[in-house]
Amino acid sequence: MARVDIEEVVKTYGNVRALDGVSLSIASGEFFTLLGPSGCGKTTLLRTIAGFNAHDGGHIRVDGTPIDDVAAHRRDMGLVYQDYAIFPHMTVSENVAFGLVTRRKPRAEIEERVRRVLDLVQLGPLADRLPQALSGGQQQRVALARAMVINPRILLMDEPLSNLDAKLRIELREDIRTLQRSLGITTIYVTHDQEEALVVSDRVCVMHQGRVHQVATPPEVYARPATLFVASFVGAMNLFADLAVDAAGNVTVAGVRLRVPALAGRTRATIGIRPEDVVLDGPDDGAPSLSFDAKVERASFAGRELLLRLTAADSTGLAANSYRPDPSAVPQPGQHARARLPLSRLHAFDPATGARIGTGA
Amino acid sequence: MSARRPRDFWTWVLVAVLAILAVLLVWPLAGIFKASLTDNRSGAFTFANYVRVLTQPFFQTALTNTLIVGIGGMLGATLIGVPLAVLTTRFAISGRNFLSTVAALTLVSPPFIGAYAWIMMLGRNGFVRAAFEDIGIEIPSIYGFFGIILVFSLKFYPFVFLMTSAALRTINPTLEEAAVGLGAGPARRLFQVTLPLVTPAITSGALLTFVLSIADFGTPAIVGGRVRVLATTAFNLFTSEMGGNPGLASSVSALLIAVSAAVVVLQRWWAARRNVESALVRRPAPRRLGPLASLGAHAACYLIAFAGFLPSLVVVWTSFRKTSGPVFVPGFGVDSYAKILREVPQVIGNSAIYSLVAVALITVVGTLVGYILSRRQTRLSATLDAGLMIPYLVPGVVLGLAFTVAFNAWPLELTGTATIIVLMLFVRRLPYAVRSSATILRQIRGTIEEAAISLGASPARAFAKITLPLMVPGIVSGALMSFITAINELSSSLILYVGRTMTMPVRIYLSVLDGEFGTAAALSTILLAATGIAVYTVLHVSGRNESALA
Repeated sequence: MARVDIEEVVKTYGNVRALDGVSLSIASGEFFTLLGPSGCGKTTLLRTIAGFNAHDGGHIRVDGTPIDDVAAHRRDMGLVYQDYAIFPHMTVSENVAFGLVTRRKPRAEIEERVRRVLDLVQLGPLADRLPQALSGGQQQRVALARAMVINPRILLMDEPLSNLDAKLRIELREDIRTLQRSLGITTIYVTHDQEEALVVSDRVCVMHQGRVHQVATPPEVYARPATLFVASFVGAMNLFADLAVDAAGNVTVAGVRLRVPALAGRTRATIGIRPEDVVLDGPDDGAPSLSFDAKVERASFAGRELLLRLTAADSTGLAANSYRPDPSAVPQPGQHARARLPLSRLHAFDPATGARIGTGA
Repeated sequence: MSARRPRDFWTWVLVAVLAILAVLLVWPLAGIFKASLTDNRSGAFTFANYVRVLTQPFFQTALTNTLIVGIGGMLGATLIGVPLAVLTTRFAISGRNFLSTVAALTLVSPPFIGAYAWIMMLGRNGFVRAAFEDIGIEIPSIYGFFGIILVFSLKFYPFVFLMTSAALRTINPTLEEAAVGLGAGPARRLFQVTLPLVTPAITSGALLTFVLSIADFGTPAIVGGRVRVLATTAFNLFTSEMGGNPGLASSVSALLIAVSAAVVVLQRWWAARRNVESALVRRPAPRRLGPLASLGAHAACYLIAFAGFLPSLVVVWTSFRKTSGPVFVPGFGVDSYAKILREVPQVIGNSAIYSLVAVALITVVGTLVGYILSRRQTRLSATLDAGLMIPYLVPGVVLGLAFTVAFNAWPLELTGTATIIVLMLFVRRLPYAVRSSATILRQIRGTIEEAAISLGASPARAFAKITLPLMVPGIVSGALMSFITAINELSSSLILYVGRTMTMPVRIYLSVLDGEFGTAAALSTILLAATGIAVYTVLHVSGRNESALA
């Protein structure tokens, strides 16, 4: 259990700034996720915290003490990799015992702790197997047990579920979350899967091109994306890019003019709305909104939701989702619908900086 | 600015290895270049040696001859190796594994044994020649170009064969099927689709045989007759009884290095481009041949394998012939073995000890260097990688000369010692172990070692406990390959040995020159047996992959 402070950390590879002045604070016991597309710097940051990348500037502190010059093997951090990194020549229990043997723990204690952690990850019966006899999911459980048994100050996980199939991913992420909570280990988790990040984390840090775009709880990130990048990376969002704003704060979308109070005093803005916030042919509740007629281009029935692709008369495209669709009434391409974009559901961004301005209302 | 990677264990290993290479390679070779630019008598700076080497007919002939035997050996090996590869990969040939193993054995047996066995057969008193003479057929003399090129072709074809078959086995069969679908007949398909696809592998193998042919000393020295090549010329100039001519010998050496360097660079360039592999869907199924064609194909394959292996058979057979003094008499016995145990037991011990000590050093250093090259890519490690190319470029004769020049005075006066031979073997064969260790490391994921470090193991401990045990198969085959080449080393030992540090290859060479064929055969058989055991182990460890030897 430990608090981690990352202050202005910089890492460059030639001309590329892999980490461009990253500052973060991770609370003790927190499940903290670094989320972003590949190449955003999340894995670089994780490896820098682990001590496998030397950073070129800034500091990393654990419980207030700088660890910049501490060698990787003295940092006391458990690490779980995407490719499991199980020692292939050691049995499951030898793998798990490795960190304890390195720490010269008494034999009886090692046996006891290994047995306990293997029971915890439900691998007790496989203790004497060699890794090649294990499935991917089981190997990742071994890796998890191996990292946790040493009671590390911080648990670092680098896309631990990416090599597993979808069903196993969901099962194991629940297990990881439960274990982490019961042990209370400060955990830094790297993933490119936004759903995974939202499900498991206390807080999410969205990164792009070596910079932090937002650090917030999952509902906050989803409901109030701090930048255009976060808006489009976490969940989906219809964006009407770089619209002209008049002096009164009016913008025109799909030929319809609408006053957006948050835009008063600006000249340009990008407006966005999540597909599930678009109301189709619904009753008008009188709340301020932007409405226009649109033609259905494509309708994809996905069981629990219906994904629609629409175009307005001026060929503005719009994605709209509806939940619990009626399977007997799937719209056909060419059909028309009234699309309503409630002002309170609109997100406004500064097109120049990508920074959030606010909601429409 | 804060953390930098601390100077850990591996940094020190890298620095130490660079220092070793500087002393054992760079310094001696620099000495050769210095000597080539120095007047022997006055010690003044001069280009005269180079001018003589490049203008005098004596040296021009040696250069021409070197190129002739290089190109001849290359063409011969290619003309044997490529058809054999096509036959064994594309048609149903029984005993394919046996043929590959024979090719591998041919590959590792020392070339000078081949040369001397051919003399036993086709030399002035050769038994094959004598048999043909009895029925009135005159066979051309083995001495000269014919002998050298014959020996090189039959000795080096396995390189082309193994590399080409490996490539042929990874061509997607759909490509060849597409050619048939488009109406190409068998010949057209072979020459316009199959062979062009494996050209990089063929070229790579061929250039390798060229480099080996021009660097070889033993073969031209034994069967060359009056044909002088650069390697023998440098040797004679240096060891001449009239006091030698280090300046000239050095400039001949520099010329030899220049020729091999040019070709090795060419070969590397080709090798780097040999990524013709397509996504392999399934292995091509060998086609059945009609009875007559099948008979012909089998005859061709087994004849080639037999011819390549024949020298070894002749040597073993000869070693068990009964002798009376230096001449053979009818019947079989172990006289030759009794004789070597009586007269030269020491050379067997020397060879064993020098090779084992060198291999122990090679294995330790090679494993560490292989690790650095595959896991720590820095500017320093790139320097090291380039430095390890040098042993491939420098023929044994030249390295022997360079060692003699460099280590004959303070601070490193080593001439005449066993140490100088061990160091020579070490530096000459180190790249084998490095390559083998780097290759296996590519199959071991780096995260495994990081995981160990994150669990609290120091970098050195993580290497020893995790990576090293996983590298064992690669280390063992690297060690055995360097053992095979170390125990069979002739050219540089011949320059560096003194009476009490004589090795088996040197003794064999001297015995052949003296016409003591029984002694030579018995010693050669011991070498072949040691080599054979090592090869068997390599194949066993690497799971039957003959190209592990190429």
